[in-house]
Amino acid sequence: MIQVDHLTVNFGPSVAVRDVSFSVAQGESFGLVGESGSGKSTILRTIMGLNPDWSGSIKIDGQDTKSTSRTDLARRAQMVFQDPYASLHPRYVIGQAIAEPMRINKLPDPEKRTVELLDLIGLPGQFRFRFPHELSGGQRQRVAIARALALNPKILLLDEPTSALDVSIQAEILNLLNQLRKELGLTFVIVSHDLAVISYMCDRLMVMRNAEAVETLSREQLRSRDIAQSYTRELIAAS
Amino acid sequence: MSENLVEIENLRIAFPREGGMSDAVRGVSLSLGREKLGIVGESGSGKSLTGRALLGVLPSYAKISVDKMVFDGIDLTAASPKLRRSLRGGRMGMILQDPKFSLNPVMRVGLQIVEAIRIGDKKLPKREAFKQALAVLEAVHIRDPERVFSLYPHELSGGMGQRVMIAMMVVREPDLLIADEPTSALDVTVQTQVLSILDELVTRRGMGLIFISHDLRLVSRFCDRVIVMYAGQIVETLRADRLNEASHPYTRGLLACLPTIDGPLDPLPVLQRQASWLEARP
Repeated sequence: MIQVDHLTVNFGPSVAVRDVSFSVAQGESFGLVGESGSGKSTILRTIMGLNPDWSGSIKIDGQDTKSTSRTDLARRAQMVFQDPYASLHPRYVIGQAIAEPMRINKLPDPEKRTVELLDLIGLPGQFRFRFPHELSGGQRQRVAIARALALNPKILLLDEPTSALDVSIQAEILNLLNQLRKELGLTFVIVSHDLAVISYMCDRLMVMRNAEAVETLSREQLRSRDIAQSYTRELIAAS
Repeated sequence: MSENLVEIENLRIAFPREGGMSDAVRGVSLSLGREKLGIVGESGSGKSLTGRALLGVLPSYAKISVDKMVFDGIDLTAASPKLRRSLRGGRMGMILQDPKFSLNPVMRVGLQIVEAIRIGDKKLPKREAFKQALAVLEAVHIRDPERVFSLYPHELSGGMGQRVMIAMMVVREPDLLIADEPTSALDVTVQTQVLSILDELVTRRGMGLIFISHDLRLVSRFCDRVIVMYAGQIVETLRADRLNEASHPYTRGLLACLPTIDGPLDPLPVLQRQASWLEARP
């Protein structure tokens, strides 16, 4: 589903991601874990075409993202950002925020679909008339997920989807994401610094440090501590 | 004269809303010795407000009523604004959540620490203050204090910024440190470092620490005692090492909803909030 080969991302003179390769199968949930500045979010942003300066190859569904148009890419993959306080337009009501991608892509009947999406993420349809500041953090993150699902993408890229939320709300969002993945057959790439969240959510994971991939593990390997690199062990010990 | 550093009895904080007042903190009582006390709760449970009330930095429209609020023998309810101001920074310090928003973005961090020192002791020569600032940066385990001294906040990483904030607060050796989510914006590895620095400072200088967080496990690893708050009230006070004996369903729910590396993959248990938790407690 996603094939990343020898990806290197530069920010001016500094290297944010150095020669990273991984692939994610259809329906799989893949985790990227590491400390801040290790390049995990940069990989997601590069997949979505938000970073101009990169080399290597990224293929989604066999198609190179460099030769894919932006709208086409947006229909295949969508991103959910860390901070729902910052990722929703403060002066759009929820309904507008969710319907906007459908309007841009000229999908039929965005209003009806907005209500369906709200239902899907467990919020009453009346919420479409509210502003983001009238919602709690967890509700806002649900709206961000609904917006990401508006174009029926097959892939969700989740950048720290719960780290701005209370632990009690985190459980609700993680459950919702798992349920959506099952129901809609989605493929996930989840970025987090919390190994517990990654171990709970992901089938496979890649540990990153200083812009480089440290190692790739399956959940079973993580849980049976079948780990080759000492950095990964440190990370487990710290969490 | 009690030995407790802080005593609060029946603290209530309310904010004016349309058509009346809305209660944010509803009758909190606590006492703190020279120990590490954790306050845990979700957003909106009133844990930060409690800390801020103690410091006296609530907005003027907040309505505060308290039966007793004593800091090291000083009655804070009767203290003049001037006295409270002199306590802040000097004898009580507060570490805030996000260094990005709490440091002055257009001032080198070292000079911000110097400023904090010189506010406390106006007669201190500049050179002496610079020396103290460098020493405290070293004390919070910053490897290259001279270089960091002349950096701007945006040039610091999150963990480094948080350490600068801690340095700024501990440099005047307060008796009480209130840390409001000091590590929530940080990675786990950096989190451990920052906590061990705090721990070292508290133990060595005999400070009292109030550690406010929403992460129950983190708090229980770090603190001596834990207060659990829900909707402006204390639902339970526990010894940190006896967390597993928590009896209140809210505390148990908070513990259960955390995923663990080796935990089961079934849907996580979600807090079922009960109306009875809101009722007044004896």
